Amino acid sequence: MADPRDTHEDILLAPIEHTGPGFYWAVAFLSLLILWGAIAYSIQFTEGLGVTGLHQPVGWGFYVTNFVFFIGISHAGTLISAILRLSKAEWRRPITRMAEVITCMVIFIGAGQILVDLGRPDRMLNVLRHGRYQSPLLWDATSISAYLTASLTYLYLPMIPDIAILRDRLGKRKLLYSVLALGWTGTEHQHRVLNRAIAIMAVLVIPIAVSVHSVVSFVFSMTLQPSWHSTIFGPYFVVGAIFSGIAGLILTMIIFRKAYKLHYYLKPIHFRYLGQLLLIMSLLWFYFTFAEYLTGYYGAEPEEMKVFWAKFTGPFWPFFWSMVLCNFVVPLACLASLKRHTVGKVMIASAAIVVGMWLERFIIVVPTLSFPRLPFPEGVYLPTWVEWGETAGSFGLFALFYLLFTKFFPIISIWEIREGRETSLKEVEERIVSYLPGEVEEKT
Amino acid sequence: MEHQPPVSDRLVRTLQWVWLGVAFLLVGSIVLWIVGLIRAAWKLDDVLSASVGISIVAIPVFLVFMGVVFYVFWGIALHGRGRED
Repeated sequence: MADPRDTHEDILLAPIEHTGPGFYWAVAFLSLLILWGAIAYSIQFTEGLGVTGLHQPVGWGFYVTNFVFFIGISHAGTLISAILRLSKAEWRRPITRMAEVITCMVIFIGAGQILVDLGRPDRMLNVLRHGRYQSPLLWDATSISAYLTASLTYLYLPMIPDIAILRDRLGKRKLLYSVLALGWTGTEHQHRVLNRAIAIMAVLVIPIAVSVHSVVSFVFSMTLQPSWHSTIFGPYFVVGAIFSGIAGLILTMIIFRKAYKLHYYLKPIHFRYLGQLLLIMSLLWFYFTFAEYLTGYYGAEPEEMKVFWAKFTGPFWPFFWSMVLCNFVVPLACLASLKRHTVGKVMIASAAIVVGMWLERFIIVVPTLSFPRLPFPEGVYLPTWVEWGETAGSFGLFALFYLLFTKFFPIISIWEIREGRETSLKEVEERIVSYLPGEVEEKT
Repeated sequence: MEHQPPVSDRLVRTLQWVWLGVAFLLVGSIVLWIVGLIRAAWKLDDVLSASVGISIVAIPVFLVFMGVVFYVFWGIALHGRGRED
Protein backbone atom coordinates (compact mmCIF):
# COMPACT_ATOMS: atom_id res chain seq x y z
CA MET A 1 0.00 0.00 0.00
CA ALA A 2 1.30 3.45 -0.85
CA ASP A 3 2.41 5.73 1.95
CA PRO A 4 -0.80 7.54 2.90
CA ARG A 5 1.21 10.45 4.21
CA ASP A 6 0.41 13.59 2.34
CA THR A 7 3.52 15.61 1.56
CA HIS A 8 1.63 18.67 2.74
CA GLU A 9 0.95 17.16 6.16
CA ASP A 10 4.13 18.79 7.40
CA ILE A 11 2.29 22.11 7.11
CA LEU A 12 -0.22 20.85 9.68
CA LEU A 13 2.50 19.70 12.08
CA ALA A 14 4.70 22.77 11.61
CA PRO A 15 2.94 24.93 14.26
CA ILE A 16 3.47 22.14 16.81
CA GLU A 17 7.10 21.52 15.90
CA HIS A 18 8.27 25.09 15.51
CA THR A 19 7.36 28.33 17.23
CA GLY A 20 7.91 31.56 15.35
CA PRO A 21 8.10 35.13 16.67
CA GLY A 22 4.51 35.75 15.56
CA PHE A 23 3.31 33.33 18.22
CA TYR A 24 5.11 35.21 20.98
CA TRP A 25 3.81 38.56 19.74
CA ALA A 26 0.28 37.19 19.69
CA VAL A 27 0.66 35.74 23.20
CA ALA A 28 2.05 39.06 24.46
CA PHE A 29 -0.85 41.03 22.98
CA LEU A 30 -3.48 38.62 24.28
CA SER A 31 -1.82 38.57 27.71
CA LEU A 32 -2.20 42.34 27.86
CA LEU A 33 -5.92 42.01 27.19
CA ILE A 34 -6.18 39.30 29.83
CA LEU A 35 -4.23 41.45 32.28
CA TRP A 36 -6.69 44.28 31.72
CA GLY A 37 -9.53 41.88 32.40
CA ALA A 38 -7.80 40.47 35.49
CA ILE A 39 -7.21 43.93 36.96
CA ALA A 40 -10.82 44.90 36.24
CA TYR A 41 -12.11 41.74 37.86
CA SER A 42 -9.87 42.02 40.92
CA ILE A 43 -11.15 45.56 41.52
CA GLN A 44 -14.74 44.39 41.08
CA PHE A 45 -14.07 41.48 43.43
CA THR A 46 -12.73 43.69 46.22
CA GLU A 47 -14.98 46.74 45.75
CA GLY A 48 -18.16 44.96 44.64
CA LEU A 49 -20.41 45.40 41.62
CA GLY A 50 -20.72 49.12 42.45
CA VAL A 51 -17.64 49.75 40.28
CA THR A 52 -19.59 48.58 37.23
CA GLY A 53 -22.43 50.31 35.42
CA LEU A 54 -24.89 47.75 36.77
CA HIS A 55 -27.58 49.24 39.01
CA GLN A 56 -31.31 49.11 39.61
CA PRO A 57 -33.23 48.49 37.42
CA VAL A 58 -30.51 47.37 34.94
CA GLY A 59 -28.95 44.45 36.81
CA TRP A 60 -27.76 42.65 33.68
CA GLY A 61 -25.41 44.33 31.24
CA PHE A 62 -22.22 43.37 29.46
CA TYR A 63 -21.66 40.16 31.43
CA VAL A 64 -24.99 38.57 30.57
CA THR A 65 -24.69 39.90 27.00
CA ASN A 66 -21.28 38.20 26.77
CA PHE A 67 -22.71 35.02 28.29
CA VAL A 68 -25.44 34.75 25.67
CA PHE A 69 -23.03 35.76 22.91
CA PHE A 70 -20.31 33.25 23.81
CA ILE A 71 -22.73 30.39 24.32
CA GLY A 72 -24.16 31.31 20.91
CA ILE A 73 -20.73 31.25 19.27
CA SER A 74 -20.24 27.79 20.77
CA HIS A 75 -22.78 26.53 18.24
CA ALA A 76 -20.08 27.06 15.64
CA GLY A 77 -18.48 23.87 16.46
CA THR A 78 -20.15 20.84 17.65
CA LEU A 79 -23.48 21.52 15.99
CA ILE A 80 -22.13 22.52 12.58
CA SER A 81 -19.54 19.76 12.65
CA ALA A 82 -22.13 17.15 13.67
CA ILE A 83 -24.60 18.23 10.99
CA LEU A 84 -21.93 18.19 8.28
CA ARG A 85 -20.63 14.82 9.47
CA LEU A 86 -24.06 13.20 9.55
CA SER A 87 -25.03 14.63 6.17
CA LYS A 88 -21.75 13.29 4.76
CA ALA A 89 -20.72 16.69 3.47
CA GLU A 90 -17.22 15.82 2.28
CA TRP A 91 -16.02 19.41 2.28
CA ARG A 92 -16.27 19.39 6.07
CA ARG A 93 -12.97 17.52 6.58
CA PRO A 94 -10.57 20.48 7.04
CA ILE A 95 -13.16 22.46 9.01
CA THR A 96 -14.57 20.25 11.75
CA ARG A 97 -11.64 20.34 14.18
CA MET A 98 -11.45 24.14 14.14
CA ALA A 99 -15.17 24.33 14.78
CA GLU A 100 -15.12 21.83 17.64
CA VAL A 101 -12.26 23.63 19.39
CA ILE A 102 -14.18 26.91 19.26
CA THR A 103 -17.09 25.25 21.02
CA CYS A 104 -15.07 23.86 23.91
CA MET A 105 -13.18 27.11 24.49
CA VAL A 106 -16.14 29.47 24.39
CA ILE A 107 -18.35 27.38 26.63
CA PHE A 108 -15.81 27.86 29.41
CA ILE A 109 -15.58 31.59 28.72
CA GLY A 110 -19.37 31.94 28.43
CA ALA A 111 -20.13 30.06 31.64
CA GLY A 112 -17.43 32.11 33.39
CA GLN A 113 -19.40 35.30 32.64
CA ILE A 114 -22.06 34.22 35.09
CA LEU A 115 -19.46 33.87 37.83
CA VAL A 116 -18.21 37.37 37.04
CA ASP A 117 -21.77 38.72 37.00
CA LEU A 118 -22.49 37.26 40.43
CA GLY A 119 -20.11 39.72 42.05
CA ARG A 120 -19.73 37.19 44.86
CA PRO A 121 -18.56 34.03 43.02
CA ASP A 122 -18.70 31.99 46.23
CA ARG A 123 -22.50 32.20 45.93
CA MET A 124 -22.23 29.75 43.06
CA LEU A 125 -21.98 27.12 45.77
CA ASN A 126 -25.56 27.97 46.76
CA VAL A 127 -26.68 26.83 43.31
CA LEU A 128 -24.81 23.58 43.75
CA ARG A 129 -26.12 22.96 47.25
CA HIS A 130 -29.62 24.41 47.19
CA GLY A 131 -30.52 24.63 43.49
CA ARG A 132 -34.20 24.44 42.48
CA TYR A 133 -35.22 22.98 39.17
CA GLN A 134 -38.12 25.39 38.85
CA SER A 135 -35.62 28.04 37.86
CA PRO A 136 -34.60 28.28 34.18
CA LEU A 137 -31.18 29.34 35.46
CA LEU A 138 -30.69 25.81 36.76
CA TRP A 139 -31.94 24.36 33.48
CA ASP A 140 -29.17 26.42 31.94
CA ALA A 141 -26.56 25.03 34.31
CA THR A 142 -27.64 21.47 33.50
CA SER A 143 -27.83 21.86 29.73
CA ILE A 144 -24.53 23.75 29.55
CA SER A 145 -22.85 20.99 31.62
CA ALA A 146 -24.25 18.41 29.18
CA TYR A 147 -23.12 20.45 26.19
CA LEU A 148 -19.64 20.95 27.61
CA THR A 149 -19.26 17.25 28.38
CA ALA A 150 -20.57 16.27 24.93
CA SER A 151 -18.39 18.82 23.15
CA LEU A 152 -15.22 17.76 24.97
CA THR A 153 -15.93 14.13 24.12
CA TYR A 154 -16.81 14.99 20.55
CA LEU A 155 -13.61 17.01 20.19
CA TYR A 156 -11.42 14.34 21.75
CA LEU A 157 -12.66 11.25 19.88
CA PRO A 158 -11.73 12.36 16.34
CA MET A 159 -8.40 13.57 17.70
CA ILE A 160 -7.22 10.12 18.81
CA PRO A 161 -5.70 9.01 15.45
CA ASP A 162 -4.01 12.40 15.06
CA ILE A 163 -2.58 12.21 18.57
CA ALA A 164 -1.14 8.81 17.61
CA ILE A 165 0.52 10.46 14.60
CA LEU A 166 2.04 13.07 16.92
CA ARG A 167 3.18 10.32 19.30
CA ASP A 168 4.93 8.48 16.46
CA ARG A 169 6.35 11.42 14.57
CA LEU A 170 7.24 14.09 17.09
CA GLY A 171 10.18 13.84 19.42
CA LYS A 172 8.53 15.78 22.22
CA ARG A 173 5.64 15.42 24.69
CA LYS A 174 5.82 11.65 24.19
CA LEU A 175 4.13 10.86 27.50
CA LEU A 176 1.21 13.23 26.89
CA TYR A 177 0.57 11.94 23.37
CA SER A 178 1.04 8.28 24.39
CA VAL A 179 -1.57 8.59 27.14
CA LEU A 180 -4.10 10.47 25.00
CA ALA A 181 -3.63 8.24 21.93
CA LEU A 182 -5.03 5.27 23.93
CA GLY A 183 -2.65 2.87 22.15
CA TRP A 184 -4.06 3.69 18.72
CA THR A 185 -2.37 1.70 15.97
CA GLY A 186 -4.98 2.17 13.27
CA THR A 187 -6.36 -1.38 13.15
CA GLU A 188 -9.67 -2.01 11.47
CA HIS A 189 -11.24 -2.83 14.84
CA GLN A 190 -10.08 0.48 16.31
CA HIS A 191 -11.42 2.39 13.31
CA ARG A 192 -14.77 0.63 13.66
CA VAL A 193 -15.03 1.45 17.37
CA LEU A 194 -14.01 5.05 16.84
CA ASN A 195 -16.36 5.68 13.92
CA ARG A 196 -19.26 4.18 15.85
CA ALA A 197 -18.53 6.35 18.90
CA ILE A 198 -18.20 9.50 16.78
CA ALA A 199 -21.52 8.72 15.06
CA ILE A 200 -23.28 8.26 18.44
CA MET A 201 -21.86 11.53 19.71
CA ALA A 202 -22.77 13.37 16.49
CA VAL A 203 -26.39 12.29 16.88
CA LEU A 204 -26.48 13.16 20.58
CA VAL A 205 -24.82 16.52 20.25
CA ILE A 206 -27.40 18.08 17.92
CA PRO A 207 -30.42 18.00 20.29
CA ILE A 208 -28.19 18.99 23.19
CA ALA A 209 -26.86 22.02 21.28
CA VAL A 210 -30.38 23.05 20.31
CA SER A 211 -31.54 22.62 23.91
CA VAL A 212 -28.70 24.77 25.25
CA HIS A 213 -29.63 27.92 23.41
CA SER A 214 -33.33 27.28 23.84
CA VAL A 215 -32.76 27.11 27.57
CA VAL A 216 -30.61 30.25 27.47
CA SER A 217 -33.58 31.99 25.85
CA PHE A 218 -35.92 30.62 28.54
CA VAL A 219 -34.02 32.65 31.14
CA PHE A 220 -35.59 35.67 29.47
CA SER A 221 -38.82 34.39 27.95
CA MET A 222 -40.10 32.68 31.12
CA THR A 223 -40.42 36.11 32.73
CA LEU A 224 -43.33 38.48 32.02
CA GLN A 225 -41.01 41.32 31.07
CA PRO A 226 -41.82 43.35 27.94
CA SER A 227 -40.01 42.11 24.82
CA TRP A 228 -38.82 38.98 26.62
CA HIS A 229 -42.03 37.03 27.10
CA SER A 230 -42.11 35.46 23.64
CA THR A 231 -42.86 31.96 22.46
CA ILE A 232 -40.42 32.18 19.55
CA PHE A 233 -37.43 33.11 21.71
CA GLY A 234 -36.16 29.50 21.75
CA PRO A 235 -35.85 29.06 17.97
CA TYR A 236 -34.89 32.74 17.57
CA PHE A 237 -31.92 32.24 19.89
CA VAL A 238 -30.92 28.96 18.25
CA VAL A 239 -30.95 30.56 14.79
CA GLY A 240 -28.91 33.49 16.10
CA ALA A 241 -26.47 31.11 17.75
CA ILE A 242 -25.86 29.10 14.58
CA PHE A 243 -25.63 32.35 12.61
CA SER A 244 -22.97 33.86 14.89
CA GLY A 245 -21.27 30.48 15.21
CA ILE A 246 -20.72 30.14 11.46
CA ALA A 247 -19.42 33.72 11.30
CA GLY A 248 -17.03 33.06 14.21
CA LEU A 249 -15.82 29.88 12.55
CA ILE A 250 -15.14 31.63 9.24
CA LEU A 251 -13.13 34.36 10.94
CA THR A 252 -11.08 31.76 12.84
CA MET A 253 -10.46 29.84 9.61
CA ILE A 254 -9.28 32.98 7.84
CA ILE A 255 -6.93 33.98 10.67
CA PHE A 256 -5.31 30.54 10.93
CA ARG A 257 -5.24 30.05 7.17
CA LYS A 258 -3.05 33.14 6.95
CA ALA A 259 -1.01 32.58 10.12
CA TYR A 260 -0.25 28.88 9.51
CA LYS A 261 -0.30 29.00 5.69
CA LEU A 262 -3.19 26.56 5.35
CA HIS A 263 -4.23 27.65 1.86
CA TYR A 264 -3.67 24.12 0.59
CA TYR A 265 -6.38 22.81 2.94
CA LEU A 266 -8.76 25.74 3.42
CA LYS A 267 -9.69 26.56 -0.13
CA PRO A 268 -12.00 29.26 -1.51
CA ILE A 269 -14.64 26.57 -2.05
CA HIS A 270 -14.91 26.06 1.74
CA PHE A 271 -15.51 29.75 2.24
CA ARG A 272 -17.98 29.79 -0.62
CA TYR A 273 -20.05 27.01 0.93
CA LEU A 274 -19.88 28.54 4.40
CA GLY A 275 -20.80 31.88 2.84
CA GLN A 276 -23.92 30.30 1.38
CA LEU A 277 -24.85 28.93 4.80
CA LEU A 278 -24.25 32.37 6.24
CA LEU A 279 -26.57 33.95 3.69
CA ILE A 280 -29.34 31.47 4.50
CA MET A 281 -28.91 32.10 8.22
CA SER A 282 -28.94 35.87 7.67
CA LEU A 283 -32.30 35.63 5.89
CA LEU A 284 -33.63 33.32 8.59
CA TRP A 285 -32.41 35.67 11.32
CA PHE A 286 -34.14 38.60 9.60
CA TYR A 287 -37.36 36.62 9.33
CA PHE A 288 -37.34 35.80 13.06
CA THR A 289 -36.45 39.38 14.01
CA PHE A 290 -39.23 40.73 11.81
CA ALA A 291 -41.77 38.26 13.23
CA GLU A 292 -40.71 39.04 16.80
CA TYR A 293 -40.98 42.82 16.49
CA LEU A 294 -44.09 42.84 14.31
CA THR A 295 -46.01 40.73 16.84
CA GLY A 296 -45.03 43.08 19.67
CA TYR A 297 -45.87 46.16 17.63
CA TYR A 298 -49.26 44.85 16.48
CA GLY A 299 -50.29 43.96 20.05
CA ALA A 300 -49.30 47.52 21.09
CA GLU A 301 -49.26 46.67 24.78
CA PRO A 302 -48.09 49.92 26.48
CA GLU A 303 -45.11 48.46 28.40
CA GLU A 304 -44.04 46.54 25.32
CA MET A 305 -44.21 49.67 23.18
CA LYS A 306 -41.95 51.59 25.56
CA VAL A 307 -39.20 49.05 24.95
CA PHE A 308 -40.04 48.85 21.25
CA TRP A 309 -39.64 52.59 20.67
CA ALA A 310 -36.58 52.73 22.91
CA LYS A 311 -34.94 50.37 20.43
CA PHE A 312 -36.26 51.90 17.22
CA THR A 313 -35.98 55.63 17.92
CA GLY A 314 -35.06 56.01 21.61
CA PRO A 315 -31.75 55.76 23.45
CA PHE A 316 -30.93 52.34 21.95
CA TRP A 317 -31.49 53.23 18.28
CA PRO A 318 -27.77 53.29 17.34
CA PHE A 319 -27.35 49.73 18.65
CA PHE A 320 -30.56 48.46 17.07
CA TRP A 321 -29.93 49.86 13.60
CA SER A 322 -26.24 48.88 13.71
CA MET A 323 -27.44 45.37 14.49
CA VAL A 324 -29.73 45.37 11.44
CA LEU A 325 -26.91 46.78 9.29
CA CYS A 326 -24.38 44.20 10.49
CA ASN A 327 -26.64 41.15 10.53
CA PHE A 328 -28.67 41.75 7.40
CA VAL A 329 -27.61 44.60 5.13
CA VAL A 330 -23.86 43.90 5.03
CA PRO A 331 -24.16 40.10 4.68
CA LEU A 332 -26.78 40.51 1.97
CA ALA A 333 -24.61 43.01 0.08
CA CYS A 334 -21.58 40.73 0.33
CA LEU A 335 -23.20 37.35 -0.21
CA ALA A 336 -26.31 37.85 -2.34
CA SER A 337 -24.50 36.89 -5.52
CA LEU A 338 -23.74 33.23 -4.86
CA LYS A 339 -21.18 32.98 -7.66
CA ARG A 340 -19.11 35.88 -6.35
CA HIS A 341 -18.33 34.66 -2.84
CA THR A 342 -14.68 35.63 -2.52
CA VAL A 343 -12.82 34.97 0.73
CA GLY A 344 -12.64 38.73 1.31
CA LYS A 345 -16.39 39.22 0.99
CA VAL A 346 -17.15 36.27 3.23
CA MET A 347 -14.71 37.69 5.79
CA ILE A 348 -16.35 41.14 5.75
CA ALA A 349 -19.79 39.58 6.17
CA SER A 350 -18.57 37.37 9.02
CA ALA A 351 -16.87 40.22 10.88
CA ALA A 352 -20.05 42.29 10.56
CA ILE A 353 -22.16 39.41 11.83
CA VAL A 354 -19.99 38.78 14.90
CA VAL A 355 -20.36 42.46 15.85
CA GLY A 356 -24.04 42.47 14.92
CA MET A 357 -24.86 39.39 16.96
CA TRP A 358 -23.14 40.82 20.02
CA LEU A 359 -25.28 43.95 19.56
CA GLU A 360 -28.36 41.75 19.18
CA ARG A 361 -27.67 40.11 22.55
CA PHE A 362 -27.14 43.56 24.08
CA ILE A 363 -30.38 44.85 22.52
CA ILE A 364 -32.28 41.90 23.98
CA VAL A 365 -30.82 42.12 27.50
CA VAL A 366 -30.56 45.81 28.37
CA PRO A 367 -33.55 47.80 26.98
CA THR A 368 -36.11 45.57 28.66
CA LEU A 369 -34.43 46.09 32.03
CA SER A 370 -34.18 49.83 31.40
CA PHE A 371 -37.98 50.03 31.03
CA PRO A 372 -39.30 47.45 33.51
CA ARG A 373 -42.94 46.49 33.80
CA LEU A 374 -42.95 46.98 37.56
CA PRO A 375 -43.08 50.53 38.92
CA PHE A 376 -39.31 50.96 39.28
CA PRO A 377 -37.63 54.11 38.06
CA GLU A 378 -36.37 53.77 34.50
CA GLY A 379 -32.64 53.83 33.91
CA VAL A 380 -30.01 53.75 31.21
CA TYR A 381 -27.03 51.43 31.43
CA LEU A 382 -23.56 52.84 30.92
CA PRO A 383 -20.77 50.28 31.26
CA THR A 384 -17.60 51.38 33.04
CA TRP A 385 -13.99 50.48 32.17
CA VAL A 386 -14.40 47.43 34.42
CA GLU A 387 -16.94 45.81 32.09
CA TRP A 388 -14.95 46.81 29.01
CA GLY A 389 -11.83 45.29 30.59
CA GLU A 390 -13.58 42.07 31.52
CA THR A 391 -15.02 41.81 28.00
CA ALA A 392 -11.63 42.42 26.38
CA GLY A 393 -10.06 39.91 28.78
CA SER A 394 -12.66 37.29 27.88
CA PHE A 395 -12.01 37.64 24.15
CA GLY A 396 -8.28 37.58 24.86
CA LEU A 397 -8.62 34.44 26.97
CA PHE A 398 -10.57 32.68 24.23
CA ALA A 399 -8.00 33.61 21.59
CA LEU A 400 -5.09 32.57 23.85
CA PHE A 401 -6.66 29.19 24.67
CA TYR A 402 -7.24 28.60 20.98
CA LEU A 403 -3.69 29.58 20.08
CA LEU A 404 -2.24 27.30 22.76
CA PHE A 405 -4.36 24.41 21.49
CA THR A 406 -2.80 24.79 18.05
CA LYS A 407 0.65 24.41 19.62
CA PHE A 408 -0.26 21.00 20.99
CA PHE A 409 -2.59 19.46 18.40
CA PRO A 410 -3.15 19.82 14.63
CA ILE A 411 -5.89 22.29 13.89
CA ILE A 412 -6.94 20.32 10.82
CA SER A 413 -7.70 16.63 11.17
CA ILE A 414 -4.90 14.74 9.44
CA TRP A 415 -6.50 11.30 9.46
CA GLU A 416 -9.84 12.57 8.17
CA ILE A 417 -8.11 14.20 5.20
CA ARG A 418 -6.29 10.90 4.54
CA GLU A 419 -9.55 9.00 4.85
CA GLY A 420 -11.12 11.43 2.37
CA ARG A 421 -8.37 10.74 -0.15
CA GLU A 422 -8.28 6.97 0.35
CA THR A 423 -11.89 5.89 0.69
CA SER A 424 -14.35 8.75 0.32
CA LEU A 425 -13.70 9.49 -3.36
CA LYS A 426 -14.93 6.01 -4.27
CA GLU A 427 -17.71 6.11 -1.67
CA VAL A 428 -19.02 9.46 -2.96
CA GLU A 429 -19.01 8.17 -6.53
CA GLU A 430 -21.03 5.12 -5.51
CA ARG A 431 -23.41 7.30 -3.51
CA ILE A 432 -24.04 9.62 -6.48
CA VAL A 433 -24.69 6.65 -8.72
CA SER A 434 -27.18 5.35 -6.16
CA TYR A 435 -29.09 8.68 -6.28
CA LEU A 436 -29.54 8.52 -10.05
CA PRO A 437 -32.43 6.75 -11.73
CA GLY A 438 -31.71 3.09 -12.38
CA GLU A 439 -32.23 -0.42 -11.14
CA VAL A 440 -33.24 -0.60 -7.47
CA GLU A 441 -31.69 -3.25 -5.29
CA GLU A 442 -34.31 -4.24 -2.71
CA LYS A 443 -32.87 -5.09 0.69
CA THR A 444 -35.03 -7.18 2.91
CA MET B 1 14.06 17.73 16.51
CA GLU B 2 14.51 16.87 20.19
CA HIS B 3 14.28 13.19 21.16
CA GLN B 4 13.01 11.85 24.43
CA PRO B 5 13.70 8.45 25.97
CA PRO B 6 10.96 5.85 25.32
CA VAL B 7 7.98 6.07 27.64
CA SER B 8 7.21 3.18 29.98
CA ASP B 9 4.13 1.22 28.86
CA ARG B 10 3.12 0.70 32.45
CA LEU B 11 3.17 4.40 33.20
CA VAL B 12 1.15 5.16 30.07
CA ARG B 13 -1.43 2.50 30.93
CA THR B 14 -1.72 3.80 34.53
CA LEU B 15 -2.22 7.36 33.33
CA GLN B 16 -4.85 6.20 30.84
CA TRP B 17 -6.79 4.64 33.70
CA VAL B 18 -6.43 7.88 35.66
CA TRP B 19 -7.71 9.75 32.56
CA LEU B 20 -10.74 7.47 32.39
CA GLY B 21 -11.24 7.85 36.15
CA VAL B 22 -11.28 11.66 35.87
CA ALA B 23 -13.89 11.47 33.08
CA PHE B 24 -16.05 9.17 35.19
CA LEU B 25 -15.58 11.37 38.23
CA LEU B 26 -16.73 14.44 36.31
CA VAL B 27 -19.83 12.81 34.87
CA GLY B 28 -20.55 10.92 38.09
CA SER B 29 -20.40 14.15 40.12
CA ILE B 30 -22.89 15.83 37.81
CA VAL B 31 -25.28 12.87 38.06
CA LEU B 32 -24.93 12.87 41.86
CA TRP B 33 -25.59 16.60 41.93
CA ILE B 34 -28.81 16.15 39.94
CA VAL B 35 -29.89 13.30 42.24
CA GLY B 36 -29.17 15.61 45.19
CA LEU B 37 -31.48 18.24 43.72
CA ILE B 38 -34.30 15.69 43.42
CA ARG B 39 -33.72 14.68 47.03
CA ALA B 40 -33.85 18.30 48.19
CA ALA B 41 -37.06 18.92 46.22
CA TRP B 42 -38.61 15.82 47.75
CA LYS B 43 -37.60 16.69 51.31
CA LEU B 44 -38.86 20.26 50.99
CA ASP B 45 -41.98 19.23 49.04
CA ASP B 46 -40.83 21.75 46.44
CA VAL B 47 -42.34 20.87 43.03
CA LEU B 48 -40.79 17.45 42.80
CA SER B 49 -42.24 16.97 39.32
CA ALA B 50 -39.94 19.62 37.82
CA SER B 51 -36.83 18.00 39.28
CA VAL B 52 -37.89 14.51 38.27
CA GLY B 53 -38.97 15.61 34.78
CA ILE B 54 -35.66 17.28 34.00
CA SER B 55 -33.60 14.54 35.62
CA ILE B 56 -35.32 11.83 33.57
CA VAL B 57 -33.81 13.48 30.50
CA ALA B 58 -30.52 14.73 31.92
CA ILE B 59 -29.25 11.70 33.83
CA PRO B 60 -29.51 9.22 30.92
CA VAL B 61 -27.74 11.73 28.66
CA PHE B 62 -24.79 11.86 31.03
CA LEU B 63 -24.82 8.08 31.42
CA VAL B 64 -24.67 7.70 27.63
CA PHE B 65 -21.60 9.98 27.57
CA MET B 66 -19.98 7.80 30.18
CA GLY B 67 -20.91 4.72 28.15
CA VAL B 68 -19.40 6.15 24.95
CA VAL B 69 -16.16 7.08 26.72
CA PHE B 70 -15.89 3.64 28.28
CA TYR B 71 -16.72 1.95 24.97
CA VAL B 72 -13.91 3.86 23.24
CA PHE B 73 -11.48 3.10 26.06
CA TRP B 74 -12.42 -0.56 26.05
CA GLY B 75 -12.49 -0.89 22.26
CA ILE B 76 -9.33 1.04 21.47
CA ALA B 77 -7.05 0.93 24.48
CA LEU B 78 -7.89 -2.43 26.03
CA HIS B 79 -8.94 -4.65 23.13
CA GLY B 80 -8.00 -2.73 20.01
CA ARG B 81 -4.20 -3.00 19.89
CA GLY B 82 -2.95 -5.24 17.15
CA ARG B 83 -6.38 -6.75 16.59
CA GLU B 84 -7.03 -7.09 12.86
CA ASP B 85 -10.36 -8.57 11.94
